[in-house]
Amino acid sequence: MNKVRVLLRGLLLGTALGVMCAAAAVSAHAQSEGQQFPVATKTLKNGMKVLVETDHSIPNIALYIFYKIGSRNEHPGTTGLSHFFEHMMFNGAKKYGPGDLDKAMEANGASNNAYTTENVTVYQDWFPRSALDLIFDIEADRIQYLSFDPKKIASEREVVASERRTSVDANNGGILDEQLKATAFIAHPYQWPVIGWMSDIEHWTMDDLKHHFEMGYAPNNATMVVVGDVTPEEIFQLCEKYIEPIPQHAPPPPVTTVEPEQLGERRLIVHKPAELPLLMIGYHVPQTNSPDFYALNVMRTVLVQGESSRMYQRLVDKDQIALEVNAFQSPAFDPTLTVFAAQPKQGVDPQKCEAAIYDELDKIKKTPISDVELEKAKNIRLVEFYHQMRTINGRGNTIGTYEVFFGDYHKLFDAAKNYAAVTKEDVRRVAQKYFDSNNRTVATLIPDNGEQGSAK
Amino acid sequence: MNGKMRTLRFAVNAVLLLGFAWNCGAQTLKLPPHEKIVLKNGLTLLLMEKHGVPIVDFAAIVKGGSVADPAGQEGLASVTAGLLRKGTAKRSAQQFAADLDFIGADFSADASADYTAISIEFLAKDMDKGLDLFSDAVLRPAFAQAEVEKLLAQEIDGIKAAKDEAQSVALNYYYGYLFSKHPYGRPVAGDELSLARIKRDAITKFYATNYTPGNTILAVAGEFDAAQMRAKIEQALGGWTAKETALPAIPAPMPVKGKKLLLVDKPDSTQTFFVFGNVGTAENDPDRVAIRVVNTIFGGRFTSELNEALRVESGLTYGAQAFFDSRKEPGAFGIYSFTKNESTVQAIDLALQVLAKLQKVGVTAEQLASAKAYIKGQFPPSIETSEQLAKRIAANEFYGLGDDEINKLEERIDAVTPEIAKQVIAKHFPEDNLVFMLIGKGSEIGPGVRKYAPQQDTRKISEPGFWPGAK
Repeated sequence: MNKVRVLLRGLLLGTALGVMCAAAAVSAHAQSEGQQFPVATKTLKNGMKVLVETDHSIPNIALYIFYKIGSRNEHPGTTGLSHFFEHMMFNGAKKYGPGDLDKAMEANGASNNAYTTENVTVYQDWFPRSALDLIFDIEADRIQYLSFDPKKIASEREVVASERRTSVDANNGGILDEQLKATAFIAHPYQWPVIGWMSDIEHWTMDDLKHHFEMGYAPNNATMVVVGDVTPEEIFQLCEKYIEPIPQHAPPPPVTTVEPEQLGERRLIVHKPAELPLLMIGYHVPQTNSPDFYALNVMRTVLVQGESSRMYQRLVDKDQIALEVNAFQSPAFDPTLTVFAAQPKQGVDPQKCEAAIYDELDKIKKTPISDVELEKAKNIRLVEFYHQMRTINGRGNTIGTYEVFFGDYHKLFDAAKNYAAVTKEDVRRVAQKYFDSNNRTVATLIPDNGEQGSAK
Repeated sequence: MNGKMRTLRFAVNAVLLLGFAWNCGAQTLKLPPHEKIVLKNGLTLLLMEKHGVPIVDFAAIVKGGSVADPAGQEGLASVTAGLLRKGTAKRSAQQFAADLDFIGADFSADASADYTAISIEFLAKDMDKGLDLFSDAVLRPAFAQAEVEKLLAQEIDGIKAAKDEAQSVALNYYYGYLFSKHPYGRPVAGDELSLARIKRDAITKFYATNYTPGNTILAVAGEFDAAQMRAKIEQALGGWTAKETALPAIPAPMPVKGKKLLLVDKPDSTQTFFVFGNVGTAENDPDRVAIRVVNTIFGGRFTSELNEALRVESGLTYGAQAFFDSRKEPGAFGIYSFTKNESTVQAIDLALQVLAKLQKVGVTAEQLASAKAYIKGQFPPSIETSEQLAKRIAANEFYGLGDDEINKLEERIDAVTPEIAKQVIAKHFPEDNLVFMLIGKGSEIGPGVRKYAPQQDTRKISEPGFWPGAK
């Protein structure tokens, strides 16, 4: 296995959506090749929107439910509640008690998972056609009648604590990312980690959980996407039977806090035992449905995607000061961050990597990218589109993400047009607009190996 | 960031563990038709048309992975693979990257223990460009000195960075300790010391010895016409005439007798990551389907006995699982989990109890039925794409497994009776002979774990290398 290439994957594991969203774009060329597929939609009487795409190529189905609630709907003292709640959604309801849900699914050939981000909580079921009815029975049961058993809560707290020790304590990228966000945002809820601070994980109360459930899990706050060996009629009938009777209620109150403009560079350092340092630089950028989304994606592609990208060529290949350089941006309802991450080589001062990144950003601000780079970026998007669209699971996640973050799944098919419209001047404009030194937060992890005294 | 997976998959990906254990069974699904051609130069070509998505996937297997590394030069196969794209007879590394990225193609070349896998994926309309990049990398790598030095330096630092994330190196330590001097004990990507010893000459020699058409299986799947594809490949690869040399035979590793324990000290660790087990099974083991069924019940899914005990019922961990990393010769069997420092002994004790219960009580008819349905139900998405299919048929060819491996899986799964399960448990889930590997805070967990084995070894995570053989 090539460890070099997987170094920063820990950071990216959670950004399935980020990768996906960036990936789910298509050039005008692709659209002309007919890269549209029919999606049937229906809004149930209780407000849940359901999207269905039929694909009989394998006898399986992928079902996604997106709830528009995440860590941005939390408050200090109960950070991580959305994610904890996601775990509780597998711990028993009325018909399917503790442990029953997973046992019933697996005995019928189904598997499940879920993920939580700052913005959404997403439940995933993958199953053979034969389990269709069971899946709806289970989903309806837990949306309505989740149980709150104190013993399960206590044990699940420990599971989440273990998850945090793995993804933060034992992952330098996890620690640094957490500290970066806590510094880059001073007002908006994106400042706290999705998994929550450890002391909050230890102290939520039963009331906090119940309140969260009532607030976030209204059918009118959810979008269901079903892709696979099934027809829209079948799904709409099942929805009528299982989902539509669930009453609607008020969704979470809007998040009104707006992050104030950053007026100067912020810097932070993490000292911890480590073999190598790590560097992350975050810039405030607009939310996903902003018109600048496409130009920002093209800019990131030119800078870091592939070994021909500018920053790879500069930091990894030419200067040989980093093992890896990357940039990412997650889908977000509110203004968010574009984060550059570099893994400096041993013995290299992270500030050297920092200077090289700024230098590359300066170049892209001053001089338009080349025609070849622009075309390359669009070609990369095209292949990624097919990559995402070739599985029922990929289509389920992508359709849902466009529907939720852009407000309309049709934007998936418009992405072609929107990328085609990006000009070299657009790329330069967004580079100048958002990647200013006053708008950045710089996080550096410095190895501190006490007893050996060799760090620095 | 911060999507937080709920099931084991998060942990599993981090250690590159599973895949094997969960990819099983078939319902009514059959492999799409494909043909096998042996070219005049000895290259085995597998062609599978799969229409619908305008993508083509090449998956090549070159026999000779880290098992072909000379002792002391661990990582040679891996570095050789990594250099294929770093400059060829007609392209610099930069030009290769530029040409590849311009068409949005994906190229990868990675060694594993048994073989080196090289793959490329591109749009069907870019067929000629894609094939040219593939054959350029495989047939004409330049191994320029500057690129060799660059990559080796990166790989050495990459090993160090991986050690900052304990779970990503757990298997390196476990395999080194379990297989000891057997080639399967070698770290596939090498270690800080062995990589520093590798010279360009060794790389060109490794390439000349192993990268031959007779040693190569190439599977191509996706949107194309098979006859046209064959002609194009014959033209691009037919002139490859490198002489085949016989690969050194690898003896089957012997299971470890008794118990031994390696503690890798990571002083700042808040959790202990542990793996224990013994030598497992070969890819072509006659019991392989029954093992998959039993291991699904024992440690291969969310409701497995191990995950139920260590996660669901006790909250000791985010995940616990058991795996068979099967290879050409018997690979590893292991039980893997992690828990906070203070519950280390409690978690290992519990995992051992679950193993003892499997031996004593076995599995129920209900569990068997559930595992069978689960494996069959989850199988189709594992052969959904042309990439998955190309890799699957190439591996089947390498391991000498026919299409029935997939086409008859359903009936083979159905044929697993309680009696067979019982035999498989007795034979393949060792309880008395166990090798333990733990990464954690030695000063805190060391005394408690002494009880697991009479033989104890320790090393610091900052110490270069992963295994006793590393010097």
